[in-house]
Amino acid sequence: MGDSGGEFESGKNQDDLIMQRQREIEKEINESIMLVGDKESLSTLEAEYLSDEIYKLKVKDLATKYKNIRRTRPDGNCFFRAFAYAYFESLLDHKEDYNSFYNIAVESKKKLISLGFPQFTLEDFHDTFMEVLAIAGKEEPNAHDELHAAFNNQGYSNYVVVYLRLLASGQLQQDADFYQHFIEGDRTITEFCHQEVEPMFRESDHIHIIALSTALNVGVRVRYLDRGESTEAIAHDFPEGTQPTIHLLYRPSHYDILYPI
Amino acid sequence: MSGSALRRLMAEYKQLTLNPPEGIIAGPINEENFFEWEALITGPDGTCFEGGVFPAKLVFPSDYPLSPPKMQFTCEMFHPNIYTDGKVCISILHAAGDDPMGYESSAERWSPVQSVEKILLSVVSMLAEPNDESGANVDAAKMWRENREEFNKIAQRIVRKTLGIPT
Repeated sequence: MGDSGGEFESGKNQDDLIMQRQREIEKEINESIMLVGDKESLSTLEAEYLSDEIYKLKVKDLATKYKNIRRTRPDGNCFFRAFAYAYFESLLDHKEDYNSFYNIAVESKKKLISLGFPQFTLEDFHDTFMEVLAIAGKEEPNAHDELHAAFNNQGYSNYVVVYLRLLASGQLQQDADFYQHFIEGDRTITEFCHQEVEPMFRESDHIHIIALSTALNVGVRVRYLDRGESTEAIAHDFPEGTQPTIHLLYRPSHYDILYPI
Repeated sequence: MSGSALRRLMAEYKQLTLNPPEGIIAGPINEENFFEWEALITGPDGTCFEGGVFPAKLVFPSDYPLSPPKMQFTCEMFHPNIYTDGKVCISILHAAGDDPMGYESSAERWSPVQSVEKILLSVVSMLAEPNDESGANVDAAKMWRENREEFNKIAQRIVRKTLGIPT
């Protein structure tokens, strides 16, 4: 054993080893949790925190406002996936919103291309997004099952996530002057989008939520379940002051869907 | 139709065949398997790699284009951003977060709207302008910084080798 620390020699591809391990961990998670789960009673959440006084109080308060939770896979895409699922699900029951949203979605491709996104690679994501959205416009009684199945099919579900990421990125770049103030460090908005918004599996922050809810004009209420001092899970609405259409539960690093009473 | 790696790779192959970028040829080694490609990259003019034709292999993951491919030169290479086994180490082949080399924050990253063409163009730029901060090949990075003349000599020898000219 020399002192040269052979493992770290140039040419040994340490980064490959690290990423290989990372992929193994991701695979373990993937195999254990559905991309989007079934609707569960909020009591399943209460059962998770029986011995934690702070969380127990907050969950108890949540239970007075929400009756169900739907869990999503914690793979870094959970905000986008939860957003899409909850909103498409709400469109099943609101056909008037479906029609106007369909038009917004059709137009969004032109907007992204005009912002400089490459049409060649964009098209596939847009087409798949529109295809899944079309399920939400169906009248058949099994449309919900079909939507649920699409969201649990990687080919559909992940492409919907990619497209929402592009829409959020487009919104940030379009209003770069405004959003620049919220970026830490000396990155430009474009750099931030390339590194934190467009790549799959990157976790979402407030700025992603503001951008996406603004781009699609869909109000989101996020309930924060954390160690903060209050006795309830505090609510934040995005964009500020709008009537929320969808409700999400945030626990550190993860978003699930909530259903109000 | 659900998103699929194969459909996307076939579309990219078609696009590269119809509109090949200058100095680059790329496509599947065998049309039975679209997940392994071979590329030929011409060394950029006015650089020490000028005139060389460098073969490389690209291997795509099953969830492409959500995740990037890997790229490895199959000829001898001597370059700060290429491991001695030929693996290419540039930021566009990594998503942010997968970041052991500490790329500059302004560097281009992998995202699903990138493409094989963008990767190959980045590799051409890398040949022209090595990033000596990322030490995939520490010896090459050091020589690039401290002894450019010697570096150029090695590059010229590799160029001749790729052309089958006796070195």
